[in-house]
Amino acid sequence: MNARHESILNHAGSRWLWISLGLSLVSLIAYAWHSPSVPPNGGTWLGYTLGTIAGLLILWLMFFGIRKRSYSGSSSLRGWLSAHVYLGTTLILIALLHAGFQVGWNLHTFFLVLMLLVIFSGFFGVYCYLRYPTLMTRNRESATRSNMLEEIAELDQNALALADGIDPKVHGVVLRSIQNTRLGGGVLTQLRARDDSDAALAGIRAALAAREKSNQAATGAKSGQTIFAMVDFLASGTNDRQAEALRKLIDLLSRKKSLASRVARDIQYQALMEIWLYVHVPLSFATVAALFAHVVSVFFYW
Amino acid sequence: MRWLIRRVLKQGKGAVSYEEDVHFGDVLSIGRAADQAIFLSDIRAALNHARVTSQGPGRYQVESLILAGIRVNGELTYATTVGAGATVEIASTRIVLLDPPRDFEAAVEISALDKAEQEAVKAKRAKPTSLKETWIGKRFPSWVLFLLVLVFGLLLPAATHFIPPLGRVIAHSGLPTTASWNPGPLDAAHRFFGDDCKQCHQTPFLTVRDDACTTCHTRMAAHADPARFNLPALGEARCGSCHQDHLGLDGMVNTDQSLCSDCHTDLKARTKDASQLADATDFATAHPEFRVRLPAWDAQGAFAPQLTRLTPGLKENSGLKFDHALHLKPDLNAPSGRRTLDCATCHVPDAGGLAMKPVNFETMCHDCHTLGFDTFAPDRQVPHAKVAEVVYMLDDYYAKRALEGGYTETSAPGFVQQRRRPGDQPLSQQETIEALSWARNKSRQVADSVFTGRACVTCHTVTRPSGPANVPGGGWQIAPVRVAGIWYGEARFTHAKHSTMNCNDCHKAAESKTATDLLIPDLANCRQCHAGESGGSKVASTCIACHRYHQSVTLQLKQL
Repeated sequence: MNARHESILNHAGSRWLWISLGLSLVSLIAYAWHSPSVPPNGGTWLGYTLGTIAGLLILWLMFFGIRKRSYSGSSSLRGWLSAHVYLGTTLILIALLHAGFQVGWNLHTFFLVLMLLVIFSGFFGVYCYLRYPTLMTRNRESATRSNMLEEIAELDQNALALADGIDPKVHGVVLRSIQNTRLGGGVLTQLRARDDSDAALAGIRAALAAREKSNQAATGAKSGQTIFAMVDFLASGTNDRQAEALRKLIDLLSRKKSLASRVARDIQYQALMEIWLYVHVPLSFATVAALFAHVVSVFFYW
Repeated sequence: MRWLIRRVLKQGKGAVSYEEDVHFGDVLSIGRAADQAIFLSDIRAALNHARVTSQGPGRYQVESLILAGIRVNGELTYATTVGAGATVEIASTRIVLLDPPRDFEAAVEISALDKAEQEAVKAKRAKPTSLKETWIGKRFPSWVLFLLVLVFGLLLPAATHFIPPLGRVIAHSGLPTTASWNPGPLDAAHRFFGDDCKQCHQTPFLTVRDDACTTCHTRMAAHADPARFNLPALGEARCGSCHQDHLGLDGMVNTDQSLCSDCHTDLKARTKDASQLADATDFATAHPEFRVRLPAWDAQGAFAPQLTRLTPGLKENSGLKFDHALHLKPDLNAPSGRRTLDCATCHVPDAGGLAMKPVNFETMCHDCHTLGFDTFAPDRQVPHAKVAEVVYMLDDYYAKRALEGGYTETSAPGFVQQRRRPGDQPLSQQETIEALSWARNKSRQVADSVFTGRACVTCHTVTRPSGPANVPGGGWQIAPVRVAGIWYGEARFTHAKHSTMNCNDCHKAAESKTATDLLIPDLANCRQCHAGESGGSKVASTCIACHRYHQSVTLQLKQL
């Protein structure tokens, strides 16, 4: 058995790479050999041939969206994706040869640009699919995200119990820390791997400042972060038993913080793996519309 | 102040009971400490978690006493003033602030959230952890982009084709019209109407018809009559088969060799002898020897060149006597001194550069070849190229000299030789008759000499078929002359494109001693530099380099 990990790029002995290279080579040879009386363009017999191949390729590449959702296929989805990637890449060459490298300020070049945007967003997707699953596995350390979330909840409970035994102020700080730990969020938050504690903190800090003005009952609240607040408390002098409990609490909270950032990173990796699809898919539908418009318009004014 | 505190107790199977309590005081304290008005046992509650102050019936101020803040109506806050119906959530407890019933100034209702409710609250507060849960999607943008591209890329431009007024509006608005379908720049001559696709593309989904072309190109010659020369390719050829626009300046003229060679092979057999043209498929390897238009004249004297295949030693009849070799010798003895002639002295290209201007006697020959006729009057010359004028002029000249006298030639009568002074007796009638008779004879003699002895005959063939009759011009005839002109009737040779060459590279004039030498170059001469489409080291020249496709002189495209 082959010990090497099989990815979408080297699926089945890189079968689709070779098929794509073969297709590219045949197209290039035909293009080089073909010498029409006019500059190479989509209207020569080779132009029509390459155009037909490219158009069918686009439709076939679009079919991947349907194939992806069906679980009854006889061939593996990885094989399909491998073919999707390689033939999609080949499409760049075939389309350029079809157009005879002519571009202009018109629908046809717009179509080309759309198609290239789809393909290049796909390249980003390939990069993500090759890079992030490994990083995700490493980040999770063989736990699942729900494992980590459960552990965070448990840590929160333990921390509260511990803090309660120290001081009501510490309890309040821990409560706030729990509230501030917000995993997930909007698109940008997910992509930036922030656990949203900073954003929540900023809001609370503003409210805090307002409260301090009216009410001079300021405590260790000036420092924003839980651990700093607790170190302040430690420094302010407490008895040994409390100090011991506080240290334990800090351990708990550090563990929680690291878990929370791992979850945030997990969410980020997942978001990165998906975000390009939100460009790739809508643009690919625009490309299909452009393909249709291109073909119809060309024969409309034949 | 009297507070009503109502606790909601759930008893399973949806049954609910209430437990009411009264609290006295301005402030309702909430927390895990034993002294709190509302005691919460949950560890997530602080000892002194929050307080509620009544600010009048149904108005409450809610304040958090800890850093974490509290959730009022789902919003995290430190202090806020709310009306009745507001909900405060702390840990697993929900506190609803109520309108105070009679006898109370304030009221709250406390209920514990059961597991399902807690989960629901948790789920509600949880932020999306995958992109699927956020606002962005794929389906809606896909539809929008698909439809946008379809509408602006196809439907709107197509509509401008069918509704011209709409097209004008859209063109002004900057939205895409059918012009956005233009695949490439038009030929320069077509640009002035290029905005209107319909000028050429008259019917959607049909190729451009020839009618569209011949609307403007009215006098375009046909290639050949497809009815006579029954070749499928000829009958089916559209204008667009060769002339492809939208390819800038490169597309319009098809210069492919195959354009011609596909048909011009085995042509006689395939047209069933309708075509007598020799096959020609490649200039370097398969091209017949040239045919030249040899000068000839019909019975009426009109120029009627004979298309004759070039063969070695073929002679031409230009009607002139001329020794190129002699004229090209250096330092010729001319009246004005020594002169050296070259080709350009006599052969000057016409303005288009296609052919040579006709040789002009007055400007090119006359310097040396004067047309004087009388040594007693060296300045007098007969006019060139006007036979009758020459004879009339001689008659007039000698009549005048005879009557004036003073013409000292010995053959003349004495009174003609004698110079007359003013006051002398006029000639008698007898003398006048004699003088004019002499003059007539002298004129005839000189005309004979001019035509056959000295002047004309040097270069021209002079005949007098009708004898010395009294016809105007004395019956002299000069053979017609044609020196420069179009020699290759079936090709378009232009001197302008060969200006880098020397004349004698192609025309062996320096060795030609007689005008009947044909100095027009043959196929082999051209092949020194030119080859077919795959030219190799030579100039790649396809058929179109010399020949025209639209070459019929009798048939126009419109007539097909």
